[in-house]
Amino acid sequence: MKLRVSHILYAAALVGFILLPQLITVKYYLHLSVLALVWVIAAQGQNLIQGYTGYVSIVQAGFMGIGAYSTTLMGLHFGLPVWLTILLAPFVTALFALFAGYPSLRVKGHYFAIVTLAFNLVIFIVLMHATDLTQGEAGISGIPKPGREGGWLDFANREVYYYFVLIIAVAMTALAALIVRSRIGQTLIAIRQNETLVGAIGIAAWKYKLFAFVTSAMYAGLAGALYAHYQSFINPEIFGLAQSLDAILAVIIGGSGTILGPVIGAFVVVFLPEYLRFADSFRLILYGLLLVLATIFMPRGIVGVVGQLWARMAGKATR
Amino acid sequence: MIEILQQIVNGVAIGGVYVLIALGLTTVFGILGIAHFAHGSVSMFGGYLTFFLVTSWGFPLLLAILVALIVGFVLGMLIELLAYRPVRNANHINAFIVALGLTMMVEGLNLQFFGHEQVVIPTNLSRVFDIGGVTIPELRLYVIIAAALLIIAMTLFVEKTKTGQAIRAVAENRDAAILMGVNVKTIPLVVFAISTALGVCAGVMVGSLFAIAPGIGEWLVVKGFAVLILGGLGSIPGAIVGGLVLGVTEALAAGFISSAYKDVIAFVVMIAVLLLRPQGLMGKA
Repeated sequence: MKLRVSHILYAAALVGFILLPQLITVKYYLHLSVLALVWVIAAQGQNLIQGYTGYVSIVQAGFMGIGAYSTTLMGLHFGLPVWLTILLAPFVTALFALFAGYPSLRVKGHYFAIVTLAFNLVIFIVLMHATDLTQGEAGISGIPKPGREGGWLDFANREVYYYFVLIIAVAMTALAALIVRSRIGQTLIAIRQNETLVGAIGIAAWKYKLFAFVTSAMYAGLAGALYAHYQSFINPEIFGLAQSLDAILAVIIGGSGTILGPVIGAFVVVFLPEYLRFADSFRLILYGLLLVLATIFMPRGIVGVVGQLWARMAGKATR
Repeated sequence: MIEILQQIVNGVAIGGVYVLIALGLTTVFGILGIAHFAHGSVSMFGGYLTFFLVTSWGFPLLLAILVALIVGFVLGMLIELLAYRPVRNANHINAFIVALGLTMMVEGLNLQFFGHEQVVIPTNLSRVFDIGGVTIPELRLYVIIAAALLIIAMTLFVEKTKTGQAIRAVAENRDAAILMGVNVKTIPLVVFAISTALGVCAGVMVGSLFAIAPGIGEWLVVKGFAVLILGGLGSIPGAIVGGLVLGVTEALAAGFISSAYKDVIAFVVMIAVLLLRPQGLMGKA
């Protein structure tokens, strides 16, 4: 019974996302929706390492930056077609993640969080200062869109790009669901619950942790690449610590360790600051306050709260 | 040789600031297991407040620092009481998210009260001492001395006083401390009050040595955590050694390798230490 309800929910959400561009009248909201979908991909990756494996990584935006810059630079210097560089970007990111994951995954808890945070800062500093390659703070503009110019699909059209990102976001969400249900995913959850026990029954936990970390980085790299070709402009500013924290928040607010959580969380993280614009300079204070209150009063995120309400209502109905 | 000594002296000054930040972070971590990410922004609030009292209200510098310290004391207790206590028994990631929310709030308050402008706390200390070819600006020397005194005071407090013993007891074994009659409700308040006051001192030092601007707080707290990793989480000697190591490494890296990449080099050292000694330089295995 419960499975059927959740399937209806997924289908309804999908229909909602497909209809969304037709329902939105303000162009700017369509723009935000594209960004939110990009963030859905990044947040699904973050959820794999943070929500399921229980390791809070603070480098997701840094990996998005690697994805964004690698797709851009491969196109710029090697003249590769856009679709190919978007495909390659996650693998370039994975290489960096292997390199970063090896030392960081030797430590746990806060140590891991802080080491990954340091990696984000290192990525940021290098993007800022390696001006020969990245043009530093000024950034790179004029990044081409996918598809040939005058082709049958015009990716410069926001609506087209929305559906493009939507398809990828749905696919990546489905992939995340598959990973979680597989033996690997179950091992990851076991690591979150009791890593010592996992080791004791003869499973090499480090392999699984590295898998989760690298996979989450590949999600970020893909998100970053999609972002770069959507905005046609990147600079290091958007791949800093604050954005990595946004990825963590998306997972927590939506509901960590759930498949729908990062989807909801990504939209909250992108739209909420916009809605708080009315508060002007109090915006940051209000956003922070909402976060603190949300964590204290709904520690399991929006999915957790809704699930609880649903269970209560269903319980009443059967009675 | 003189050049190396010069950089080491520079490194000790900034290292002293790191130690003060790290002492606050490490005691909070030791007691509550919380990564108090808002610490840097709160410290900058103290620096801003001092600047404001001196320039707008005409307070003498020392009085302004005293007022900022008292405000920091109260602010620290409020943060523990209102923000961290409610998530005391939740997953540690929740406390971290609360810390992030707090950081945003404090950064927002700083912007609201003190604006976007970069400010420097005026000190009128412009003499420069020359000791055997090594030049030390007067201000930098006082910062080193003040930091040293504060570090000694903090160490004595934790080692010698009854409250200090209680703090160490809670850090070591919370349940046993409760059984021994330690009041675990007031200890976190004391720890937060003292940590925040130390942070305010660090904020004043940063504000007079360099400048205070939006974002500096986050930069400072990241350095503080790097110190904790270097020295060992929750360890007070570790915070002192780690802070000085990080400060000197940065100064040497800036002086001899590249000032743009000094932070990268500092983090590489941190990660190297972590690989060789995962428990930190002074941490117990």
